[in-house]
Formats: sequence, C-alpha cells, structure tokens
Amino acid sequence: MNPMIRRLSALTVALALPFATSAADYKVGPGSTLGFSGKFQGQQFDGTFGKFDAAISYDAANLAASKFDVTVDTATAKTGDSDRDNALPGSDFLDVKKFATAHYVTTGFTKDAKGNVIANGNLTLHGVTKPVALKVVFSPNAGGARLSVTGTLKRLDFGVGSGDYKDTSTIADEVLVNGSLNLLPK
Amino acid sequence: MPLRSDTSRWSTVAKTFHWVMALLILGNGAFAFWMDGLKPSLQKINMFALHKSIGLTVLALFLLRLMWRAVDRRPPDEPAPHWQQIAAHAVHGLLYLLIVAIPLSGWAFNSAHGFPLQYFKQFNLPALVEKNPGLSDTLGTVHVWLFWFLLAVLVAHVGGALKHHLIDRDDTLRRMLPFGRAKRNTSTPPGDTP
Repeated sequence: MNPMIRRLSALTVALALPFATSAADYKVGPGSTLGFSGKFQGQQFDGTFGKFDAAISYDAANLAASKFDVTVDTATAKTGDSDRDNALPGSDFLDVKKFATAHYVTTGFTKDAKGNVIANGNLTLHGVTKPVALKVVFSPNAGGARLSVTGTLKRLDFGVGSGDYKDTSTIADEVLVNGSLNLLPK
Repeated sequence: MPLRSDTSRWSTVAKTFHWVMALLILGNGAFAFWMDGLKPSLQKINMFALHKSIGLTVLALFLLRLMWRAVDRRPPDEPAPHWQQIAAHAVHGLLYLLIVAIPLSGWAFNSAHGFPLQYFKQFNLPALVEKNPGLSDTLGTVHVWLFWFLLAVLVAHVGGALKHHLIDRDDTLRRMLPFGRAKRNTSTPPGDTP
C-alpha cells in the first residue's frame, strides 16, 4: 500500500470514529427488578417477574447506538395473591405453556417534549408483537449504571385475558410496566 | 300515605325500610349460597362483587333507618303478655345487631382475604383489616353462621307476627304490611268497609 493511500485510510478511520463509537454494553446485576401493575375491581395490584434477562447498550450521547433487548420468563410472574397467581399462567391469561417468554427489543430512541428519553420498541407477549414505548432514566454510577424504565401497555392488545376476562370493568385494560435494573459492565 | 308513623300504623318510610331491607337481606343470602357453588369464572367474581355491593347497601340503609327511627313516632305495642312484648323487642334488637354484624363480618372477611371492595363498580372502600389468610377463614365462617343465626331469629320474628295476626287477630302484622290497613284504632275512611 503506498504511503498516500495509507495516510488517507488512517484519516478516514479517524473521521469515522466518532460516529462508530458503540454504546457501553451492560448486563443485569443483582438487585434488579421487573414489575407490572394492573387494576382489579378498581384496586391496583403489583406484580414482578422473578426471572428475566437483558442485554443493554446505552450511551446518552449516542442514542442511535443504544439498544435494549429483554427476555422475560412469563411463568415467574407473581402478584402476592394466590388466586390471581394461579390464574395468571393459565390459558385465559399469559398461557405460559405456549408462550414461555416475552421479548422486548428496541427499534430506536427519541426524546419527548420534556426532554425525557423514550425507548421505542416491540414487545412480543402472548405470541403477539406490538410497539411499546418506555420512558428511560439512566444514571451511571461507580459500578455501572442504574436504568429505570416505565411504560404502559394494553393487555387486550396482546390477548391477555380471553373470553369473559376481556371485561375491562373488572380487570383494567391498561397495565403499567416498570423496570429498575442494576447494570454491570459486560 | 303517611310519611310518619302514627298510633295505628307504621309510616310509608318505616314500611319501605322494613320490606326493602327484608328483601335485600334474604335475596342476598340466597344469592350467596347459590353462587358459592359455581365454578370459578369472571361472572362468579362479578356476582360476588354484586353480593358485596348489596350487603353494603343494607348497611347504608340500616344507618338511614336508625336516623329515621330517631325522628319518627312508633305505634304502641298491641296488647300481649308483658314477657311477649319484651321478647318481641329483644328479637328486634337482635335483628338490628345482625343486620350490622353480617355485612361488617363480610366486609372484614373480604379485607382479610385481600380482595378489593368496589361498590357497584363505582368507588372503592378501604379494608377493615390487614390481609390474613387464617383470619379470613374464620371470618368467612362467622359471616355464614351469623346469617344462619339471623334466620333462626327471623323464625321468632315472623312467628310472632303470624301469631298476632292469626291467633290474636290484632293489627301487629297488618300495620306493617305494604298496603295493609289497621282494623282497629283507625277512624274508618268514608267508603271503606270495616
């Protein structure tokens, strides 16, 4: 390779570098929670997923290179009520035998009017894939970062609650989703 | 139709409280035993919610009834042996106690079980006790037994009323019947056959 070309290619790489920086990669550390809140007979109930995993790439200055990829073990949903927890995995709701995992993967990030970072992505739940937006709060810390996400989905969009259980006057359609992840560097 | 009771009969308000509450209490009890045997479903959940709302309605009506009772007159007791009059009032007292105790025990049962309490899908009422599965079982049993006890007391109440009506042939029952008119003590309105 002649020196001229070598110099040019070095320059090209140098120029391209700022755009190619990949966001920092994180894995889920202990102390992370993924939860949801629904409403039954006018009263909120809160649930958590005992088992989930996430691959997080995030750089607040380079949202284009950021990405969330989350998988959730649907059978591990618990809400602290034995009646409800017996019903939730069944075929009327999450149908965990058929749909053992839920999957969320971002397609891009935007900022809303207030300057909040919004993750846009597709959630596959109960075999149905629909877009779900999550508000993102990312705070780097000494050991990695704390990532909080909140969003809302409609359970009936995903067919969660079949037959009579579609009745939203008893079980609200809206379900709040919240995650608080303790991220460690990968 | 008199708003307030007089010496010969109960007022329309007193009669309405009496019969509406009687229907709601007995109907709600029968409804509960019937639906308790149904398989779990959302309809069953909604039926229980309805049962709870009716029970709360009884409780609310009872409070209104007590307030009304405080301002209303009462027709005097029909002639009867003194012990029978005391017994009749004791039975009334017990009925009042049970009308409060049954809904309250159901409310506490619901709370101890950890169920929400929504009044006809309109608004929620607070829990009376913390969630506690052991207590929930006990309160559930208490709730049902209080109802059986109410039925036993009702036998005395209804039996007494029928005894007055059929044996003593006085106005005790007639003056509480929805369209009943007292035979005695009333000035007979023109055109009314005595």
